[in-house]
Amino acid sequence: MTLVNRRLIYSLLYYIISIATFLTLWEILVILLSNPYFPSPLSIFRAITRIAIFGDIDGYTLIQHIYASLERVMIGFFIAVITGVPLGLLIGIFPIVRALSIPVIEPIRFIPPIAWIPLAIILLVGMSRYAFIIWVGAFFPILLNTIAGVKRTSITLVQMAKTFGADRNQIIMKIIFPSSLPEVMTGLRVGLGVGWMCIVAAEMIGGDPIGLGRLIIKYANLIQTDVVVAGMISISLIGMCINYMILALEKRMFKWRVEVTT
Amino acid sequence: MAEDEIIIDSISKSFKQGSQTLEVIKEVSFNVSRGEFICIVGPSGCGKTTLLKMICGLEPPTLGRILIRGNPPNPKVHKFGVIFQEDSLMPWRNVMNNIKFGLEIRGMDEIKAKQIAEKYIEIVGLKGFENYYPHQLSGGMKKRVAIARALAIDPDLILMDEPFADLDAQTRSFMQKELFRIWSGLNKTIIFITHNVEEAVFLAQRVIIMTRRPSRVKAIIKIDLPHPRNRLSPPFISYREKILNMFHEEIWG
Repeated sequence: MTLVNRRLIYSLLYYIISIATFLTLWEILVILLSNPYFPSPLSIFRAITRIAIFGDIDGYTLIQHIYASLERVMIGFFIAVITGVPLGLLIGIFPIVRALSIPVIEPIRFIPPIAWIPLAIILLVGMSRYAFIIWVGAFFPILLNTIAGVKRTSITLVQMAKTFGADRNQIIMKIIFPSSLPEVMTGLRVGLGVGWMCIVAAEMIGGDPIGLGRLIIKYANLIQTDVVVAGMISISLIGMCINYMILALEKRMFKWRVEVTT
Repeated sequence: MAEDEIIIDSISKSFKQGSQTLEVIKEVSFNVSRGEFICIVGPSGCGKTTLLKMICGLEPPTLGRILIRGNPPNPKVHKFGVIFQEDSLMPWRNVMNNIKFGLEIRGMDEIKAKQIAEKYIEIVGLKGFENYYPHQLSGGMKKRVAIARALAIDPDLILMDEPFADLDAQTRSFMQKELFRIWSGLNKTIIFITHNVEEAVFLAQRVIIMTRRPSRVKAIIKIDLPHPRNRLSPPFISYREKILNMFHEEIWG
């Protein structure tokens, strides 16, 4: 057996031990507490399969909930990308844009997405409510990482391009943008993660009976905690999947960046 | 000698640091002929890099003027091939696309740029490495990519800032021979900055020795030796000693 194989088997073994111990302790806790509202792993698993196959009280299946949430997150995220990346590039490149925008952006950054909910209820309707809350969550990681990427651009590369007669547009498109792309991608990954985690908050205020956040709230009102936790776990697993998919994409895209491959 | 390609006419450069003014270069003048190989040596921190940046138009001189073929240096008018001391390859581009960069900036079409890049990949001896990324290359190979990229635009003037300083002794000696081979084949004007006196005597037709800061021209020495130069020959050693002595006067005062 090679060393790599052995390592792989060990890490898999630890993984299984870790999860199994956690679930066992949880089951023991359920028995000790004997509280009918405290869900056990087994009842959550049953709840997931039930919602996945037969749907919830309104007849929506798990896949439909997931699809609805993903659609909302993607719309909010997309708006965050097309606002955050260009603004980040502008702030990073032009000191005047930085000087004029940071005094406004910096205080807004520290308002949590949840604090925006009452305002969103009053001012917005329909999809725009969801999109706005997701946008608030996703925008700042994208913006800040893009700025950091521009700042990381090597001065030598910019001077090199200048000695070849590159104009400002060429320097931006051929040096600054590709050089900051790894940070931009990190911003997109973190932004999408934060946006996804805002889904419960966003769906608390949306009227539609569909979406993972809505599923949680619906069953919290019915005090059926097994379905509540089933919804929470679905959010977690999908968030993890998205994160690892983008990480894999980053590794493929930025092979040239030695740090990423390690 | 041939007509003066570059006229450096009593240029000075100073930087403001808060309330203080740091005078880096003071009244430096020299001319360079077309096709000449010039080495500039001087103690570290004497402003050699600043001088080079002024010659290629990255920094304006505070006083005096520089004329290249009758015009002030301008990368949009003149074709400069600058080889920086630091790594200046774009890590996201492979060897081929790094070398094509200057041609791309000048708006050359893809197919022609690729042909030219291929030619220079061959000249610098990197055939077979077209698709490698900078992080996969050794220090010497990276320098050769930078040299090929500079040569590919058919530069009027090649400016090299201690290009071989980070290389080990063997690679360095190899790269010096390679550079000489390339220069004698293409007959380009080269201004080469180094603090290695032996390197200067090995390569240059003329060596310009700079003083400590504020830096002036201490002496200009013509190296009247045929190529290939033998580092162990008595005339080579005598040139080397002569320049080293001047160099040490500047370092130790």
